[in-house]
Amino acid sequence: MVNKFLLSGWAIRALALVAIAAVVLYPFWAKHSSNPESNLSVLIIAFTSAMLTMSLNICMGYGGLMSLAHTGMLMIGGYASGILFTRYYTINSWYTLPAALVAGVIFSVLIISVSLRATYLYFGIITLAANLVVMEIARNGGDFSGGENGILGISPPYIGDNPISPMTFYYVCLAILVAVYLVQRNTILSGFGRATMSLRESSETASALGVSPSVQRVKIFAISGGIAGLAGGLLAMQSTFISPDVGDLNGGLIFFVGLFLGGIGTLVGPLAGVALIALIDFQIRFSGAYRTLILGGILLLSMMVIPRGIVGTYRASRWGEAKEHDVASEDRDENIITTSEIDPRGEVVLDVRDVKKHFGGIHAVDGVSLAVRAGEIHAIMGPNGSGKSTLVSCLTRYHSLTSGEVGLFGKPLPRTPHGVARAGVSRVFQVPHLFDRVSVIDNVLTGMRIHEKYTWLESTLRLPRYVKETRAERRQARALLALTGLQTKEELSAANISHGQKRLLEIVRAVATRPRILILDEPATGLTQPEMETLHNLIVYLAGHGIAIVLIEHNVDFLLGLADIVTVLEGGRVIAEGKPDEVRNNPVVIEAYLGRTDLIEESA
Amino acid sequence: MYAQALVDGVFSGSIYALIALSLTITYQPTRIMNFAQGEAFVLGGAVGFVAIGKMHIPWPLALVIMIVAAAIMGYIMERMVMLPVQLSGSRFAWIIATLAAALIFQAIWTMNFVGDVLSFKPPLDKSYSIAGAVMDFQQIAAIVISLGIIIAYDQFLRRTLLGRAIRATAHNSDTATILGIPTRRIIVGAFMLSTVVVAVAGFLWVPEIGINPASGLAFTIQGFTAAVIGGVGSPRGALLGGLIVGLLASFADAIFGGLSANIGVFLALGLILVLRPAGLFGKPMEGH
Repeated sequence: MVNKFLLSGWAIRALALVAIAAVVLYPFWAKHSSNPESNLSVLIIAFTSAMLTMSLNICMGYGGLMSLAHTGMLMIGGYASGILFTRYYTINSWYTLPAALVAGVIFSVLIISVSLRATYLYFGIITLAANLVVMEIARNGGDFSGGENGILGISPPYIGDNPISPMTFYYVCLAILVAVYLVQRNTILSGFGRATMSLRESSETASALGVSPSVQRVKIFAISGGIAGLAGGLLAMQSTFISPDVGDLNGGLIFFVGLFLGGIGTLVGPLAGVALIALIDFQIRFSGAYRTLILGGILLLSMMVIPRGIVGTYRASRWGEAKEHDVASEDRDENIITTSEIDPRGEVVLDVRDVKKHFGGIHAVDGVSLAVRAGEIHAIMGPNGSGKSTLVSCLTRYHSLTSGEVGLFGKPLPRTPHGVARAGVSRVFQVPHLFDRVSVIDNVLTGMRIHEKYTWLESTLRLPRYVKETRAERRQARALLALTGLQTKEELSAANISHGQKRLLEIVRAVATRPRILILDEPATGLTQPEMETLHNLIVYLAGHGIAIVLIEHNVDFLLGLADIVTVLEGGRVIAEGKPDEVRNNPVVIEAYLGRTDLIEESA
Repeated sequence: MYAQALVDGVFSGSIYALIALSLTITYQPTRIMNFAQGEAFVLGGAVGFVAIGKMHIPWPLALVIMIVAAAIMGYIMERMVMLPVQLSGSRFAWIIATLAAALIFQAIWTMNFVGDVLSFKPPLDKSYSIAGAVMDFQQIAAIVISLGIIIAYDQFLRRTLLGRAIRATAHNSDTATILGIPTRRIIVGAFMLSTVVVAVAGFLWVPEIGINPASGLAFTIQGFTAAVIGGVGSPRGALLGGLIVGLLASFADAIFGGLSANIGVFLALGLILVLRPAGLFGKPMEGH
């Protein structure tokens, strides 16, 4: 009975409701307590911590960008608000909040644009250095920033001619917290968020789905910085001062503890974590240096005991995990393969002329020419090391060409991997590149990112165009999943399906980009016989809809049973090309694969 | 003026090089940049401050006590950092764990040395005047000892069996385990050795310039910058990077004064990482 209640999910909802009620009703209790202002202040500061932790969550948990500059962003937001207020002291401090937000955005964009090329470890160090630099600047800024003491006498905002009452300010901050949560949630659940998460998994995959890694990084870091700046502005108003110490990493420890304790990369995690840590912090607030000791200890312990945090652990437990479910086959008859442009069957869509790729002295691809036509299954085979995968990497711009020309739909090949993907070439990697931590259907939806028209603002505000597009996308994603029998698993985490299902899912995700050319690099590896049949049917179906298929495969029977035309590579050169039957009996091909058959027979 | 900047720059540079070296020592087998490393620097200064400055113990004995204390600290640090990293599985685990460890040690130092500047009188309080610059004996000793430690470690890596084992672990710890290299012991050893090296650096530094007990993280960052500029992973790179950082900071300070030293160093770091994301002399790092 109890177990059933827990499993139903109502327990967690009841708990959330109690927590919300407590936060909403808290001021009425605080009003009658011995020290109403300081009791309110504790929670208001916790609200700003929660905002900052969500901002960290957006860039670290979802964007995979390690940031140690967030306390600096908080500080800068506070200074922007404080400097504006003290320079123009007649100003109502409401108006300084946008400045705080903008200051956070500017600072974060500066950091990220300096470090776009930095790898992951160095990025963390650059953010740390940036944090120290802004603190130094604030300390040495003379009258402008108030030196060590910072800026004092920032007043809380006014409503009309009267200063806002602490209780009203509490509700204003609570409202802003809710707004920030909604921004976080709507951003992450939209196509923008899926593009961000694809970046976290690997920028290679993100590019293959048409997401530009650099642009997405700048955007997500700017959003994160804006939220941090805003939190800093509110913090300065509440504490009526801002000083360089706000930027100190010691103070920032609490945000990391909140994030890891609550669950990094989950929407509610930062709230849960900050709530818990604020309670603990309240108990130890007079302990001075012991406070850092205790918080640091909690952080290390929580990483060991609940590595996924409270929310992440709950999600992975049998009470919180997603389950398989039945789906009505409502959308079966819809035309689900909609390429943006249908190429006339037989037209050359990919024209490769004398492409060479040399790695130092190794000629991995050494003058390959071939033509891929719409609606045709073009197989590329060859022994290990014959240059198949390198060729594919060249054609999708993951490698630069040493020489040669590639025409795509009659135009020159775009220069970047994501440019190639946007032009209509989708690639499935040799090793599965799925987004393990998101659900099956979200994997498919990520593939649709290229064609989404709504902007970040539209998705954050949930405007009609976003709602309409998203509804259509989900319907189409379900229909695509139904092609491979994965529709019952759409809410499962992609990490929890079998290897064969992962491979099929990756193809579905590639198809979701509505490609005109689909490149499959050894898709049949490790598939069971029934899965192989599904794959066979899927490829035939796609080619039937006018998509050009480039198929690289080691399983010769599978490949020859599918292909319309076969190109055989060896040593980076084309040694044969033709229909499957011709290639099968071509002595040069047999020799490449098996050695000289006449010699084999002799020795036998 | 510039001659003095040169002397001071080479001195601080050789200390930064030691910190960079110690970061390299733990980085090689673990792929972790330890943010807590600078706390062992403070330990070196603190032991000197208490043992020599307050209790007047002869310095060789103080040095031994310091080395033992640093080794124990290294052992504790290994557990504090590696356990969460192994159990957590998060890609950020190492940075969060080492940062937490750094702040925990920092809290311990600030609790025990409230308001103190850690320093002690150098064993040989002499200085020489060369070409308009004043050079303390302590500075010369620090430069010579740092150089000695770096060269010794470089030779150790190249010439000895254990050194090769460490390099193998650095390359691929799974393969190293299969080859029968005791990876776990190498990691513990690396942590202990690295804290000793940093503590020695602190011990050499504080008689010349006292330190604030909370400044460990700042020294870690200088060491990082040096390691990154020199290319993470090689003792020679650490030496070069350390000298570059030290000279850059002291000349920036001599020419522009005040704030410019830190900002100059970080700007240089930013510039180098933009132009050469793998560091000035380094190869691209995989896995990070």
